[in-house]
Amino acid sequence: MIDPSIIRPEIALDDFLPIFVSSALVLVFGGFYVGIYTAVKVKLLKPWTMLFAYMFWVLTAYCLYLMGSLMHVGEFTAKALVVAAIGLFLLPFAVYYMQNQVHEENEH
Amino acid sequence: MANKSVWSDNRFWRRSAAWVTGFASILLIWLTFDTSAQIAMGNDQDLQNKVTKRVPGPTVINYKITYEMSAKRGHEVPVIGEKEKFFGRDDYSEEEAGALLHLGKLGSQAKNCMDCHTLLGNGAYYAPDLTKAWIDPAWGPNGAMQALTGKNTKEEAMAEFLMHPDQYPTHARMMPDLGITAKEAKGLVAFLKHMSSIDTNGFPRNFGKIEGAVHGK
Amino acid sequence: MASKYLTGVGSESKQLATWYFTFAAILFGAQLLFGLIAAIQYVMPGFLYGILDFSIARIIHINALVVWMVFAMFGSVYWLLPDETGIETVGIKIGKLLFWIFAAAIVVVVLVYLLIQVGPADETTIWFITEGREYIEAPRWADWGIVVVALGFVANLFLTGIKGKQTGIVTVLMADMIAFAGLYLAGMFFTDNISVDQYWWWWVIHLWVEATWEVFVGAIAAYGLIKMIGAHRQVVEMWLWIEVAMLFGSGILGLGHHYFWIGTPEYWWEIGALFSALEPLPLVAMFIHVLYDWGKTQGAQEEKGSTVSVVNNKPAFTWFVLNAFGNFLGAGIWGFFHTLPQVNLYTHGTQFTSAHGHLAFFGAYATILIGMMYIAVQGTNGIKIMKHTKASLWGVSMIVSGVVGMTVALTIAGYVQVLVSRAQMGATWAGYFDGQSGMWFSQAMDWRLVMGVVTFLGFIFLAKDLLTTGKNPVHER
Repeated sequence: MIDPSIIRPEIALDDFLPIFVSSALVLVFGGFYVGIYTAVKVKLLKPWTMLFAYMFWVLTAYCLYLMGSLMHVGEFTAKALVVAAIGLFLLPFAVYYMQNQVHEENEH
Repeated sequence: MANKSVWSDNRFWRRSAAWVTGFASILLIWLTFDTSAQIAMGNDQDLQNKVTKRVPGPTVINYKITYEMSAKRGHEVPVIGEKEKFFGRDDYSEEEAGALLHLGKLGSQAKNCMDCHTLLGNGAYYAPDLTKAWIDPAWGPNGAMQALTGKNTKEEAMAEFLMHPDQYPTHARMMPDLGITAKEAKGLVAFLKHMSSIDTNGFPRNFGKIEGAVHGK
Repeated sequence: MASKYLTGVGSESKQLATWYFTFAAILFGAQLLFGLIAAIQYVMPGFLYGILDFSIARIIHINALVVWMVFAMFGSVYWLLPDETGIETVGIKIGKLLFWIFAAAIVVVVLVYLLIQVGPADETTIWFITEGREYIEAPRWADWGIVVVALGFVANLFLTGIKGKQTGIVTVLMADMIAFAGLYLAGMFFTDNISVDQYWWWWVIHLWVEATWEVFVGAIAAYGLIKMIGAHRQVVEMWLWIEVAMLFGSGILGLGHHYFWIGTPEYWWEIGALFSALEPLPLVAMFIHVLYDWGKTQGAQEEKGSTVSVVNNKPAFTWFVLNAFGNFLGAGIWGFFHTLPQVNLYTHGTQFTSAHGHLAFFGAYATILIGMMYIAVQGTNGIKIMKHTKASLWGVSMIVSGVVGMTVALTIAGYVQVLVSRAQMGATWAGYFDGQSGMWFSQAMDWRLVMGVVTFLGFIFLAKDLLTTGKNPVHER
């Protein structure tokens, strides 16, 4: 089960702070993305603010990339992180679509 | 009412939830079988035949344990070396060593070690991690603790400290006297030595690399 | 749904719920008090040395935490059962008896912790004093007591759910609570092999707080949204099933992130990393869901020309919104940034874990359970629209700023530990104390204590409000 090719370079001392900050920001920006998306959809915010939602998603993806490369993640984990980023992108669409559909069906 | 789409059908999601949960649980149970086999304690035979076990048998206390970088694994692993005396003996039988380890593990729970220390990194953060305490340079021949406790070996220094921690302050934060007897102390040291031989996938990183840090501050 | 169950009046199940909530609130206070003692000991190590050492203060701090949450969870279920099923809870007499047994056992366990503290290294200590395993230190006799009480509770829930109307919320709770009770068994045996010990110990701890408790929160949030803002049941329940799928789907194998360093094989790195990366997604989704339901119902209200808020219980709703946010912040963000093995190698067993623990337990569980207490106050006093009072606002703002402040302080302390003790000094005894004596570390601990005091003062406001707000004339009846 143990892959002999796993090489785990040490994390440079100066890289710890950027790693912690970027990984915290992943979810902060991710939260803004889904928050703004949903708020626009339920008409709590004006439609043009949707632009910011997508911008925040781009920032999320960037932070994930930064975090992953600074901590030298392996190939598998890198793939997992890409899946997580795409998952986060699709999440509000899916949630909103399903919520809305069931809402329509039950109230109109 | 409009046609119900599958995506807004409660039954669809209820079934999905059941399937996902069931699938994850089965996978976990399967992995548990595999892991349980890999972390089952080894025995004296394994040690004599140099069979590497993730968790060696209790007679590992008859051997010298070091923590070395493995090029293959990419991190440090415990290495079981030559015979080494433990409280003056290196011929503990499987039963004797097992009894010591049993006493030590019970002691670690009866004295609430985990509510100040971390063991394998889990517990409280009020006192040092004990995962590799056995190979901590502080207890070695160049460390401060043997001189402080007036003992000539690592195990005796550790046992003495455990029995009277309040007499050997190493920091303003002192370990309290927990009423540990000489017998219990011996068991606890055996438990610590055994724990240091567990393959923890390289945790903690670089342990003891900076030798003599006690003096070098 | 029989109307008498809408209030607490006339329902024995709801009366029992208020008992559970009351005892939970007392234990919450004890948790904070012993947390303060432990925090003082970080700053002044001589404080109560040899009388009530850090280990004992911490045992009570974390055990009171677990137990008050379990009490409040049982209380929440007894509260919502008559509403959901439309009938009185089956076996309520036994339920009441079990409450007293449970409460008495807790008092005995705590007294033994305080007065006897440690025992000799043999089985009698494990049976009667302490099992010495973090979070589930309770001695074995108490373990069996807890099993009996939990079985009684699960039986009441099942019998009521089967006899009455079985809504989606009740179904989820039934499945979840049986898993919750069953998992406790994994933490009851003794083994000499510490790797095996910790393997199963995590089954209890992780599969509680990152799986079954999270699903419980999902069910309670669903109930709360229906009760407080009149969210549509069909929407809420469908959502609940999706949440169950996402939470169990990521949470069960997310267990892997505890198996990086305890002697278990290296494949747990990949499993732990993958499922940990997915674990925040349901938390984000829960957050959207609350926002969605609130926006939709308020929007529908406004379309009818009314600007009145749809929320009929302001303090409870505040705590529920804090839950959606706090779960995401504490369990999500604070969990995610030290979950990958590459970085967890350095953060494992440092104050980072402690920071995450404080914010996650508070954000994910304390908030919503306090919200349920407010719903109970509203119900027992027959209040139609419950408003904030001065005390409820002071309570919520001081507790939130206190906990966030403690978390930030502990995060800074953890960062110092990672850099000094772990990355540079290799986690030895000397390295540990080098990290602890750093200026940043000790100042962080000072601030943690200050913020702990703020939290405790907030708790006093909260307790006062819960006790008095029911009779306050500001609410609409």
